[in-house]
Amino acid sequence: MIERLIESVTQFFLLLALAPLVTGVIRTLKARLQTRRGPGILQPYRHLGKLFGKGMVIPDTASWIFSATPWILFFSTALAGLMIPMVAADAPLGLFGGVLAVIYLLGLGRFFLALSGLDTGSSFGGLGSSREMTISALAEPAMMLAIFTVAIGAGSTGLTEIAGSAIGQNWRFLAPAQMFAFAALALVLIAETGRIPVDNPDTHLELTMIHEAMILEYSGPYLALIEWAASIKQLVLMTLLINCFWPVGLQHTWFGFGALQEIAWLLAKLLFLSCAIVLLETVNAKMRLFRVPELLAVAFTLSSLALVSTFLF
Amino acid sequence: MLMMHFLDLQLGDRIITLMAALVLVLQIAMVTQRWIVVHIRIFAAQSFFLAMIAATIAWFNHAPHLYAAAALTVAVKVILVPILFERLVRRMKIHEEIEPIVNVPMSVVISGGLTLVGYVVAESFYRPDEPGLGHNALAVAISLFLIGFFTMINRRKALTQVLALLSLENGMFLAAISLTYGMPLIVELGVFFDVLVAAMVLGILVYRIRETFESMDVSRLRRLRG
Repeated sequence: MIERLIESVTQFFLLLALAPLVTGVIRTLKARLQTRRGPGILQPYRHLGKLFGKGMVIPDTASWIFSATPWILFFSTALAGLMIPMVAADAPLGLFGGVLAVIYLLGLGRFFLALSGLDTGSSFGGLGSSREMTISALAEPAMMLAIFTVAIGAGSTGLTEIAGSAIGQNWRFLAPAQMFAFAALALVLIAETGRIPVDNPDTHLELTMIHEAMILEYSGPYLALIEWAASIKQLVLMTLLINCFWPVGLQHTWFGFGALQEIAWLLAKLLFLSCAIVLLETVNAKMRLFRVPELLAVAFTLSSLALVSTFLF
Repeated sequence: MLMMHFLDLQLGDRIITLMAALVLVLQIAMVTQRWIVVHIRIFAAQSFFLAMIAATIAWFNHAPHLYAAAALTVAVKVILVPILFERLVRRMKIHEEIEPIVNVPMSVVISGGLTLVGYVVAESFYRPDEPGLGHNALAVAISLFLIGFFTMINRRKALTQVLALLSLENGMFLAAISLTYGMPLIVELGVFFDVLVAAMVLGILVYRIRETFESMDVSRLRRLRG
Protein backbone atom coordinates (compact mmCIF):
# COMPACT_ATOMS: atom_id res chain seq x y z
CA MET A 1 0.00 0.00 0.00
CA ILE A 2 2.67 2.46 1.07
CA GLU A 3 4.78 1.29 -1.86
CA ARG A 4 1.96 2.14 -4.25
CA LEU A 5 1.79 5.59 -2.77
CA ILE A 6 5.52 6.13 -3.17
CA GLU A 7 5.34 4.86 -6.73
CA SER A 8 2.45 7.13 -7.61
CA VAL A 9 4.05 10.20 -6.10
CA THR A 10 7.40 9.46 -7.77
CA GLN A 11 5.82 8.92 -11.17
CA PHE A 12 3.66 12.03 -10.77
CA PHE A 13 6.66 14.23 -10.13
CA LEU A 14 8.69 12.46 -12.79
CA LEU A 15 5.94 13.23 -15.30
CA LEU A 16 5.72 16.88 -14.27
CA ALA A 17 9.46 17.34 -14.32
CA LEU A 18 10.26 15.39 -17.46
CA ALA A 19 7.50 16.66 -19.74
CA PRO A 20 8.85 20.20 -20.37
CA LEU A 21 12.33 18.73 -20.81
CA VAL A 22 11.12 16.45 -23.62
CA THR A 23 9.50 19.42 -25.33
CA GLY A 24 12.70 21.42 -24.90
CA VAL A 25 14.89 18.65 -26.26
CA ILE A 26 12.68 18.25 -29.32
CA ARG A 27 12.75 22.00 -29.98
CA THR A 28 16.50 22.29 -29.58
CA LEU A 29 17.24 19.26 -31.72
CA LYS A 30 14.93 20.59 -34.39
CA ALA A 31 16.64 23.98 -34.33
CA ARG A 32 20.06 22.35 -34.59
CA LEU A 33 18.94 20.21 -37.51
CA GLN A 34 17.78 23.36 -39.27
CA THR A 35 21.17 24.98 -38.49
CA ARG A 36 19.66 27.41 -36.00
CA ARG A 37 21.03 27.74 -32.51
CA GLY A 38 17.74 27.21 -30.74
CA PRO A 39 16.65 28.31 -27.29
CA GLY A 40 18.33 25.66 -25.14
CA ILE A 41 16.63 22.63 -23.63
CA LEU A 42 15.60 24.33 -20.39
CA GLN A 43 13.60 27.06 -22.11
CA PRO A 44 10.17 25.43 -21.50
CA TYR A 45 10.81 25.55 -17.72
CA ARG A 46 11.68 29.24 -17.90
CA HIS A 47 8.63 29.84 -20.05
CA LEU A 48 6.35 28.08 -17.55
CA GLY A 49 7.95 29.99 -14.68
CA LYS A 50 7.40 33.27 -16.46
CA LEU A 51 3.76 32.47 -17.21
CA PHE A 52 3.06 31.44 -13.59
CA GLY A 53 4.38 34.79 -12.43
CA LYS A 54 2.07 36.80 -14.63
CA GLY A 55 -1.45 38.11 -14.17
CA MET A 56 -4.42 36.83 -16.11
CA VAL A 57 -6.90 38.38 -18.51
CA ILE A 58 -10.23 36.58 -18.52
CA PRO A 59 -12.76 37.54 -21.19
CA ASP A 60 -16.08 39.01 -19.94
CA THR A 61 -18.04 36.49 -21.96
CA ALA A 62 -16.32 33.48 -20.41
CA SER A 63 -18.31 31.14 -18.16
CA TRP A 64 -17.05 28.76 -15.45
CA ILE A 65 -15.88 26.35 -18.14
CA PHE A 66 -13.12 28.77 -19.04
CA SER A 67 -11.65 28.69 -15.54
CA ALA A 68 -12.27 24.99 -14.93
CA THR A 69 -10.69 23.75 -18.15
CA PRO A 70 -6.99 24.28 -17.29
CA TRP A 71 -7.39 22.37 -14.02
CA ILE A 72 -9.41 19.54 -15.55
CA LEU A 73 -7.01 19.26 -18.47
CA PHE A 74 -3.94 19.26 -16.27
CA PHE A 75 -5.15 16.73 -13.74
CA SER A 76 -6.86 14.38 -16.17
CA THR A 77 -3.64 14.24 -18.20
CA ALA A 78 -1.50 13.66 -15.13
CA LEU A 79 -3.93 10.95 -13.94
CA ALA A 80 -3.68 9.27 -17.33
CA GLY A 81 0.08 9.48 -16.89
CA LEU A 82 -0.15 7.55 -13.63
CA MET A 83 -2.03 4.73 -15.34
CA ILE A 84 0.68 3.98 -17.87
CA PRO A 85 3.80 1.92 -17.23
CA MET A 86 6.62 4.41 -17.19
CA VAL A 87 9.54 3.34 -15.07
CA ALA A 88 8.56 -0.30 -14.71
CA ALA A 89 5.87 -2.45 -16.29
CA ASP A 90 3.87 -2.02 -13.10
CA ALA A 91 1.75 1.13 -13.53
CA PRO A 92 1.11 2.89 -10.18
CA LEU A 93 -2.62 3.30 -10.77
CA GLY A 94 -2.92 0.30 -13.05
CA LEU A 95 -5.61 -1.15 -10.79
CA PHE A 96 -7.97 1.72 -11.55
CA GLY A 97 -8.09 1.26 -15.26
CA GLY A 98 -6.36 0.05 -18.36
CA VAL A 99 -5.75 1.54 -21.71
CA LEU A 100 -9.38 2.57 -22.25
CA ALA A 101 -9.25 4.70 -19.11
CA VAL A 102 -6.07 6.37 -20.37
CA ILE A 103 -7.56 7.11 -23.79
CA TYR A 104 -10.74 8.54 -22.32
CA LEU A 105 -9.00 10.57 -19.64
CA LEU A 106 -7.08 12.22 -22.45
CA GLY A 107 -10.41 12.51 -24.26
CA LEU A 108 -11.96 14.24 -21.26
CA GLY A 109 -9.25 16.88 -21.27
CA ARG A 110 -9.66 17.38 -25.00
CA PHE A 111 -13.44 17.70 -24.63
CA PHE A 112 -13.11 20.48 -22.08
CA LEU A 113 -10.44 22.20 -24.13
CA ALA A 114 -12.76 22.22 -27.14
CA LEU A 115 -15.61 23.53 -24.95
CA SER A 116 -13.45 26.35 -23.64
CA GLY A 117 -12.47 27.22 -27.19
CA LEU A 118 -16.15 27.68 -27.95
CA ASP A 119 -16.91 29.27 -24.58
CA THR A 120 -15.42 32.71 -25.19
CA GLY A 121 -17.29 33.11 -28.45
CA SER A 122 -14.26 34.12 -30.46
CA SER A 123 -14.27 32.83 -34.00
CA PHE A 124 -10.75 31.41 -33.81
CA GLY A 125 -11.64 29.36 -30.74
CA GLY A 126 -14.57 27.76 -32.51
CA LEU A 127 -12.44 27.10 -35.56
CA GLY A 128 -9.78 25.42 -33.45
CA SER A 129 -12.33 23.34 -31.55
CA SER A 130 -13.98 22.07 -34.68
CA ARG A 131 -10.63 21.15 -36.24
CA GLU A 132 -9.41 19.44 -33.09
CA MET A 133 -12.59 17.39 -32.81
CA THR A 134 -12.45 16.38 -36.48
CA ILE A 135 -8.89 15.15 -36.16
CA SER A 136 -9.33 13.40 -32.85
CA ALA A 137 -12.51 11.66 -34.06
CA LEU A 138 -10.46 10.23 -36.91
CA ALA A 139 -7.40 9.44 -34.79
CA GLU A 140 -9.24 7.68 -31.98
CA PRO A 141 -10.37 4.54 -33.87
CA ALA A 142 -6.86 4.05 -35.23
CA MET A 143 -5.41 4.38 -31.74
CA MET A 144 -7.94 1.95 -30.25
CA LEU A 145 -7.37 -0.72 -32.89
CA ALA A 146 -3.58 -0.41 -32.60
CA ILE A 147 -3.74 -0.79 -28.82
CA PHE A 148 -6.16 -3.71 -29.10
CA THR A 149 -3.62 -5.50 -31.28
CA VAL A 150 -1.15 -5.43 -28.41
CA ALA A 151 -3.89 -6.16 -25.90
CA ILE A 152 -4.84 -9.38 -27.70
CA GLY A 153 -1.27 -10.61 -27.38
CA ALA A 154 -1.30 -9.86 -23.67
CA GLY A 155 -4.83 -11.14 -23.07
CA SER A 156 -5.80 -7.99 -21.18
CA THR A 157 -6.39 -4.29 -21.74
CA GLY A 158 -4.52 -3.50 -18.53
CA LEU A 159 -1.35 -1.67 -19.41
CA THR A 160 0.59 -3.43 -16.68
CA GLU A 161 -0.18 -6.77 -18.32
CA ILE A 162 0.51 -5.44 -21.81
CA ALA A 163 3.92 -4.05 -20.92
CA GLY A 164 4.63 -7.10 -18.75
CA SER A 165 3.96 -9.50 -21.61
CA ALA A 166 6.33 -7.54 -23.81
CA ILE A 167 9.27 -7.90 -21.42
CA GLY A 168 12.00 -10.16 -22.73
CA GLN A 169 10.75 -9.94 -26.31
CA ASN A 170 12.89 -7.04 -27.34
CA TRP A 171 12.58 -7.64 -31.06
CA ARG A 172 8.91 -8.46 -31.02
CA PHE A 173 8.11 -5.30 -32.93
CA LEU A 174 9.59 -6.89 -36.04
CA ALA A 175 6.52 -9.12 -36.34
CA PRO A 176 4.23 -7.62 -39.00
CA ALA A 177 1.23 -7.12 -36.72
CA GLN A 178 3.37 -5.28 -34.18
CA MET A 179 4.98 -3.23 -36.90
CA PHE A 180 1.66 -2.17 -38.39
CA ALA A 181 0.30 -1.28 -34.96
CA PHE A 182 3.48 0.64 -34.11
CA ALA A 183 3.32 2.64 -37.33
CA ALA A 184 -0.37 3.42 -36.79
CA LEU A 185 0.22 4.52 -33.21
CA ALA A 186 3.16 6.67 -34.30
CA LEU A 187 0.92 8.44 -36.82
CA VAL A 188 -1.71 8.93 -34.12
CA LEU A 189 0.99 10.31 -31.80
CA ILE A 190 1.90 12.89 -34.42
CA ALA A 191 -1.74 13.89 -34.91
CA GLU A 192 -2.56 14.00 -31.20
CA THR A 193 0.45 16.01 -30.13
CA GLY A 194 0.05 18.49 -32.96
CA ARG A 195 3.32 17.72 -34.70
CA ILE A 196 4.22 18.94 -38.12
CA PRO A 197 2.47 17.07 -40.89
CA VAL A 198 -0.77 17.71 -39.01
CA ASP A 199 -0.33 20.90 -36.98
CA ASN A 200 2.60 23.23 -36.43
CA PRO A 201 3.37 23.60 -32.71
CA ASP A 202 5.57 26.66 -33.23
CA THR A 203 3.33 29.20 -34.92
CA HIS A 204 0.16 31.15 -34.41
CA LEU A 205 -0.57 31.27 -38.11
CA GLU A 206 -4.33 31.63 -38.14
CA LEU A 207 -5.01 29.60 -41.27
CA THR A 208 -3.34 26.43 -40.11
CA MET A 209 -3.37 26.36 -36.34
CA ILE A 210 -5.41 23.79 -34.47
CA HIS A 211 -4.27 23.50 -30.87
CA GLU A 212 -3.14 27.11 -30.61
CA ALA A 213 -6.47 28.41 -31.89
CA MET A 214 -8.36 26.89 -28.96
CA ILE A 215 -6.12 28.38 -26.28
CA LEU A 216 -5.78 31.79 -27.87
CA GLU A 217 -7.77 33.49 -25.09
CA TYR A 218 -5.72 32.03 -22.24
CA SER A 219 -2.95 33.91 -20.50
CA GLY A 220 -0.79 33.72 -17.39
CA PRO A 221 -1.03 30.71 -15.05
CA TYR A 222 -3.94 29.15 -16.97
CA LEU A 223 -1.91 29.19 -20.16
CA ALA A 224 1.01 27.68 -18.24
CA LEU A 225 -1.22 24.85 -16.98
CA ILE A 226 -2.51 24.14 -20.48
CA GLU A 227 0.94 24.14 -22.05
CA TRP A 228 2.26 21.96 -19.28
CA ALA A 229 -0.64 19.56 -19.79
CA ALA A 230 0.09 19.47 -23.52
CA SER A 231 3.69 18.47 -22.92
CA ILE A 232 2.63 15.88 -20.32
CA LYS A 233 0.22 14.42 -22.86
CA GLN A 234 3.05 14.20 -25.35
CA LEU A 235 5.24 12.43 -22.80
CA VAL A 236 2.40 10.04 -21.89
CA LEU A 237 1.80 9.04 -25.50
CA MET A 238 5.52 8.67 -26.22
CA THR A 239 6.01 6.52 -23.12
CA LEU A 240 3.03 4.39 -24.07
CA LEU A 241 4.48 3.84 -27.53
CA ILE A 242 7.92 3.00 -26.17
CA ASN A 243 6.90 0.67 -23.38
CA CYS A 244 4.26 -1.30 -25.27
CA PHE A 245 6.27 -1.92 -28.41
CA TRP A 246 9.90 -1.62 -27.50
CA PRO A 247 10.41 -2.87 -23.96
CA VAL A 248 14.23 -2.91 -23.92
CA GLY A 249 15.41 -2.48 -20.35
CA LEU A 250 11.92 -2.63 -18.83
CA GLN A 251 11.47 -4.56 -15.57
CA HIS A 252 8.36 -5.92 -13.89
CA THR A 253 8.55 -4.01 -10.62
CA TRP A 254 9.89 -0.75 -9.28
CA PHE A 255 11.83 -1.72 -6.23
CA GLY A 256 15.10 -3.49 -6.42
CA PHE A 257 18.41 -2.18 -7.53
CA GLY A 258 17.41 -1.67 -11.16
CA ALA A 259 15.14 1.34 -10.74
CA LEU A 260 17.78 3.90 -11.70
CA GLN A 261 18.87 1.76 -14.60
CA GLU A 262 15.26 1.57 -15.78
CA ILE A 263 14.96 5.36 -15.67
CA ALA A 264 18.19 5.64 -17.66
CA TRP A 265 16.77 3.27 -20.28
CA LEU A 266 13.54 5.25 -20.39
CA LEU A 267 15.44 8.49 -20.96
CA ALA A 268 17.57 6.91 -23.68
CA LYS A 269 14.51 5.57 -25.47
CA LEU A 270 12.69 8.89 -25.13
CA LEU A 271 15.70 10.63 -26.65
CA PHE A 272 15.71 8.17 -29.53
CA LEU A 273 11.99 8.67 -30.19
CA SER A 274 12.46 12.45 -29.96
CA CYS A 275 15.19 12.25 -32.60
CA ALA A 276 12.84 10.28 -34.84
CA ILE A 277 10.08 12.87 -34.34
CA VAL A 278 12.51 15.72 -35.06
CA LEU A 279 13.68 14.03 -38.25
CA LEU A 280 10.09 13.47 -39.34
CA GLU A 281 9.17 17.08 -38.60
CA THR A 282 12.14 18.46 -40.48
CA VAL A 283 11.80 16.47 -43.68
CA ASN A 284 8.05 16.96 -43.97
CA ALA A 285 6.05 20.05 -44.79
CA LYS A 286 2.80 20.75 -43.05
CA MET A 287 -0.15 19.11 -44.75
CA ARG A 288 -3.16 20.99 -45.93
CA LEU A 289 -5.92 20.50 -43.39
CA PHE A 290 -8.04 18.59 -45.89
CA ARG A 291 -5.19 16.16 -46.48
CA VAL A 292 -4.98 15.21 -42.79
CA PRO A 293 -7.84 12.68 -43.07
CA GLU A 294 -5.73 10.85 -45.66
CA LEU A 295 -2.92 10.44 -43.15
CA LEU A 296 -5.33 9.23 -40.50
CA ALA A 297 -7.02 6.88 -42.98
CA VAL A 298 -3.59 5.33 -43.51
CA ALA A 299 -3.21 5.00 -39.74
CA PHE A 300 -6.64 3.39 -39.46
CA THR A 301 -5.95 0.95 -42.28
CA LEU A 302 -2.58 0.02 -40.80
CA SER A 303 -4.08 -0.64 -37.39
CA SER A 304 -6.94 -2.70 -38.80
CA LEU A 305 -4.42 -4.70 -40.83
CA ALA A 306 -2.49 -5.24 -37.61
CA LEU A 307 -5.60 -6.53 -35.90
CA VAL A 308 -6.51 -8.76 -38.86
CA SER A 309 -3.06 -10.26 -39.09
CA THR A 310 -3.00 -11.10 -35.38
CA PHE A 311 -6.35 -12.82 -35.65
CA LEU A 312 -5.95 -14.79 -38.83
CA PHE A 313 -2.37 -15.96 -38.39
CA MET B 1 20.50 -31.53 -37.81
CA LEU B 2 16.74 -31.59 -38.14
CA MET B 3 16.54 -29.06 -35.30
CA MET B 4 18.96 -26.78 -37.12
CA HIS B 5 16.88 -26.98 -40.24
CA PHE B 6 13.75 -26.15 -38.28
CA LEU B 7 15.36 -23.11 -36.64
CA ASP B 8 16.57 -21.95 -40.01
CA LEU B 9 13.07 -22.23 -41.36
CA GLN B 10 11.71 -20.23 -38.44
CA LEU B 11 14.19 -17.44 -39.03
CA GLY B 12 13.45 -17.46 -42.75
CA ASP B 13 9.76 -17.44 -41.96
CA ARG B 14 10.15 -14.32 -39.82
CA ILE B 15 12.23 -12.50 -42.41
CA ILE B 16 9.81 -13.30 -45.21
CA THR B 17 6.79 -12.41 -43.11
CA LEU B 18 8.30 -9.04 -42.31
CA MET B 19 9.25 -8.28 -45.89
CA ALA B 20 5.88 -9.40 -47.21
CA ALA B 21 4.30 -6.96 -44.73
CA LEU B 22 6.54 -4.19 -46.09
CA VAL B 23 5.49 -5.05 -49.63
CA LEU B 24 1.87 -4.72 -48.56
CA VAL B 25 2.51 -1.37 -46.88
CA LEU B 26 4.18 -0.10 -50.04
CA GLN B 27 1.20 -1.22 -52.09
CA ILE B 28 -1.10 0.82 -49.86
CA ALA B 29 1.38 3.72 -50.06
CA MET B 30 0.96 3.57 -53.83
CA VAL B 31 -2.79 3.97 -53.44
CA THR B 32 -2.27 7.17 -51.43
CA GLN B 33 0.38 8.61 -53.68
CA ARG B 34 -0.39 11.67 -55.79
CA TRP B 35 2.92 12.26 -57.52
CA ILE B 36 3.67 10.00 -60.41
CA VAL B 37 7.46 9.95 -59.99
CA VAL B 38 7.14 8.97 -56.33
CA HIS B 39 4.65 6.35 -57.44
CA ILE B 40 7.25 4.86 -59.79
CA ARG B 41 9.89 4.84 -57.05
CA ILE B 42 7.58 3.14 -54.57
CA PHE B 43 6.97 0.50 -57.22
CA ALA B 44 10.74 0.06 -57.55
CA ALA B 45 11.11 -0.31 -53.77
CA GLN B 46 8.28 -2.84 -53.67
CA SER B 47 9.91 -4.88 -56.40
CA PHE B 48 13.19 -4.74 -54.52
CA PHE B 49 11.60 -6.25 -51.41
CA LEU B 50 9.98 -8.86 -53.62
CA ALA B 51 13.40 -9.79 -55.00
CA MET B 52 14.69 -10.04 -51.43
CA ILE B 53 11.85 -12.42 -50.57
CA ALA B 54 12.76 -14.56 -53.57
CA ALA B 55 16.42 -14.57 -52.51
CA THR B 56 15.48 -15.50 -48.93
CA ILE B 57 13.35 -18.39 -50.12
CA ALA B 58 16.22 -19.49 -52.35
CA TRP B 59 18.61 -19.41 -49.39
CA PHE B 60 16.48 -21.24 -46.87
CA ASN B 61 14.93 -23.68 -49.30
CA HIS B 62 18.10 -24.45 -51.23
CA ALA B 63 16.59 -23.55 -54.58
CA PRO B 64 19.46 -21.86 -56.41
CA HIS B 65 17.50 -21.04 -59.55
CA LEU B 66 15.40 -18.62 -57.47
CA TYR B 67 18.50 -16.46 -57.18
CA ALA B 68 18.25 -15.99 -60.91
CA ALA B 69 14.63 -14.95 -60.52
CA ALA B 70 15.62 -12.48 -57.79
CA ALA B 71 18.39 -11.03 -59.90
CA LEU B 72 16.03 -10.72 -62.85
CA THR B 73 13.47 -8.96 -60.67
CA VAL B 74 16.08 -6.46 -59.59
CA ALA B 75 17.29 -5.93 -63.14
CA VAL B 76 13.88 -5.60 -64.75
CA LYS B 77 11.52 -4.19 -62.16
CA VAL B 78 13.85 -2.25 -59.88
CA ILE B 79 16.12 -0.75 -62.52
CA LEU B 80 14.91 -1.07 -66.10
CA VAL B 81 11.16 -0.42 -65.89
CA PRO B 82 11.41 2.53 -63.45
CA ILE B 83 14.10 4.17 -65.63
CA LEU B 84 11.96 3.60 -68.69
CA PHE B 85 8.92 5.15 -67.03
CA GLU B 86 10.77 8.09 -65.55
CA ARG B 87 12.15 8.87 -68.98
CA LEU B 88 8.64 8.65 -70.35
CA VAL B 89 7.37 11.00 -67.64
CA ARG B 90 10.14 13.47 -68.41
CA ARG B 91 9.56 13.26 -72.15
CA MET B 92 5.84 13.85 -71.79
CA LYS B 93 6.38 16.60 -69.21
CA ILE B 94 3.72 15.33 -66.84
CA HIS B 95 3.46 17.68 -63.90
CA GLU B 96 -0.12 17.29 -62.80
CA GLU B 97 -1.17 15.17 -59.87
CA ILE B 98 -2.84 11.80 -60.13
CA GLU B 99 -6.57 12.25 -59.77
CA PRO B 100 -8.21 9.10 -58.44
CA ILE B 101 -11.91 8.53 -59.05
CA VAL B 102 -12.65 7.59 -55.43
CA ASN B 103 -11.02 10.04 -52.99
CA VAL B 104 -7.85 9.01 -51.19
CA PRO B 105 -9.09 8.25 -47.65
CA MET B 106 -11.89 6.14 -49.10
CA SER B 107 -9.52 4.27 -51.42
CA VAL B 108 -7.18 3.55 -48.51
CA VAL B 109 -10.03 2.13 -46.47
CA ILE B 110 -11.20 0.09 -49.48
CA SER B 111 -7.65 -1.24 -49.90
CA GLY B 112 -7.71 -2.24 -46.24
CA GLY B 113 -10.97 -4.09 -46.85
CA LEU B 114 -9.50 -5.84 -49.90
CA THR B 115 -6.54 -6.93 -47.76
CA LEU B 116 -9.00 -8.41 -45.30
CA VAL B 117 -10.53 -10.39 -48.19
CA GLY B 118 -7.04 -11.51 -49.17
CA TYR B 119 -6.30 -12.75 -45.67
CA VAL B 120 -9.63 -14.58 -45.37
CA VAL B 121 -9.11 -16.32 -48.72
CA ALA B 122 -5.53 -17.27 -47.91
CA GLU B 123 -6.44 -18.61 -44.49
CA SER B 124 -7.99 -21.72 -46.03
CA PHE B 125 -4.61 -22.57 -47.57
CA TYR B 126 -2.77 -22.18 -44.28
CA ARG B 127 -1.47 -25.34 -42.63
CA PRO B 128 -0.21 -24.51 -39.14
CA ASP B 129 1.23 -28.00 -38.54
CA GLU B 130 3.68 -27.82 -41.45
CA PRO B 131 6.66 -25.57 -40.91
CA GLY B 132 6.75 -23.47 -44.06
CA LEU B 133 8.22 -20.23 -45.22
CA GLY B 134 6.38 -16.93 -45.03
CA HIS B 135 2.93 -17.93 -43.86
CA ASN B 136 1.47 -14.53 -44.72
CA ALA B 137 3.02 -14.39 -48.18
CA LEU B 138 0.01 -15.85 -49.95
CA ALA B 139 -2.37 -13.49 -48.15
CA VAL B 140 -0.19 -10.54 -49.10
CA ALA B 141 0.01 -11.80 -52.69
CA ILE B 142 -3.78 -12.01 -53.01
CA SER B 143 -4.09 -8.57 -51.41
CA LEU B 144 -1.58 -7.11 -53.87
CA PHE B 145 -3.57 -8.65 -56.67
CA LEU B 146 -6.90 -7.20 -55.46
CA ILE B 147 -5.48 -3.78 -54.61
CA GLY B 148 -3.70 -3.66 -57.97
CA PHE B 149 -7.02 -4.33 -59.70
CA PHE B 150 -8.73 -1.68 -57.61
CA THR B 151 -6.01 0.86 -58.40
CA MET B 152 -6.38 0.17 -62.11
CA ILE B 153 -10.09 0.85 -61.90
CA ASN B 154 -9.52 3.88 -59.69
CA ARG B 155 -7.11 5.74 -61.96
CA ARG B 156 -7.82 7.72 -65.08
CA LYS B 157 -4.37 8.20 -66.54
CA ALA B 158 -2.98 5.39 -68.68
CA LEU B 159 0.51 5.47 -67.17
CA THR B 160 -0.72 5.01 -63.60
CA GLN B 161 -2.92 2.17 -64.79
CA VAL B 162 0.15 0.50 -66.23
CA LEU B 163 1.93 0.92 -62.89
CA ALA B 164 -1.05 -0.66 -61.13
CA LEU B 165 -0.93 -3.55 -63.59
CA LEU B 166 2.76 -4.06 -62.79
CA SER B 167 2.12 -4.10 -59.05
CA LEU B 168 -0.63 -6.64 -59.72
CA GLU B 169 1.98 -8.70 -61.53
CA ASN B 170 4.19 -8.38 -58.44
CA GLY B 171 1.38 -10.01 -56.49
CA MET B 172 1.27 -12.90 -58.95
CA PHE B 173 5.03 -13.36 -58.66
CA LEU B 174 4.81 -13.41 -54.88
CA ALA B 175 1.99 -15.98 -55.00
CA ALA B 176 4.02 -18.13 -57.35
CA ILE B 177 7.20 -18.15 -55.31
CA SER B 178 5.43 -18.58 -51.99
CA LEU B 179 3.26 -21.49 -53.16
CA THR B 180 5.75 -23.43 -55.23
CA TYR B 181 9.04 -22.23 -53.72
CA GLY B 182 10.24 -21.50 -57.21
CA MET B 183 8.89 -22.32 -60.62
CA PRO B 184 11.22 -23.73 -63.29
CA LEU B 185 13.62 -21.07 -64.46
CA ILE B 186 12.30 -21.13 -68.00
CA VAL B 187 8.86 -20.05 -66.77
CA GLU B 188 10.41 -17.22 -64.77
CA LEU B 189 12.39 -16.09 -67.77
CA GLY B 190 9.27 -16.08 -69.90
CA VAL B 191 7.39 -14.04 -67.31
CA PHE B 192 10.15 -11.46 -67.02
CA PHE B 193 10.51 -11.11 -70.74
CA ASP B 194 6.76 -10.70 -70.85
CA VAL B 195 6.81 -7.95 -68.22
CA LEU B 196 9.59 -6.09 -69.97
CA VAL B 197 7.91 -6.25 -73.35
CA ALA B 198 4.54 -5.35 -71.82
CA ALA B 199 6.05 -2.35 -70.07
CA MET B 200 7.73 -1.15 -73.24
CA VAL B 201 4.68 -1.70 -75.45
CA LEU B 202 2.42 -0.02 -72.91
CA GLY B 203 4.89 2.84 -72.61
CA ILE B 204 4.78 3.38 -76.36
CA LEU B 205 1.03 2.99 -76.33
CA VAL B 206 0.68 5.56 -73.56
CA TYR B 207 2.86 7.91 -75.56
CA ARG B 208 0.69 7.39 -78.65
CA ILE B 209 -2.49 7.99 -76.66
CA ARG B 210 -0.96 11.18 -75.38
CA GLU B 211 0.06 12.27 -78.90
CA THR B 212 -3.32 11.55 -80.42
CA PHE B 213 -5.64 12.78 -77.70
CA GLU B 214 -3.35 15.32 -76.02
CA SER B 215 -4.09 13.63 -72.73
CA MET B 216 -3.46 10.32 -71.00
CA ASP B 217 -6.98 10.27 -69.64
CA VAL B 218 -8.40 6.97 -70.87
CA SER B 219 -11.97 8.14 -70.41
CA ARG B 220 -11.41 10.20 -73.54
CA LEU B 221 -10.87 7.06 -75.58
CA ARG B 222 -14.62 6.60 -75.97
CA ARG B 223 -14.78 8.88 -78.97
CA LEU B 224 -13.85 7.51 -82.32
CA ARG B 225 -11.48 9.42 -84.49
CA GLY B 226 -11.11 8.88 -88.18
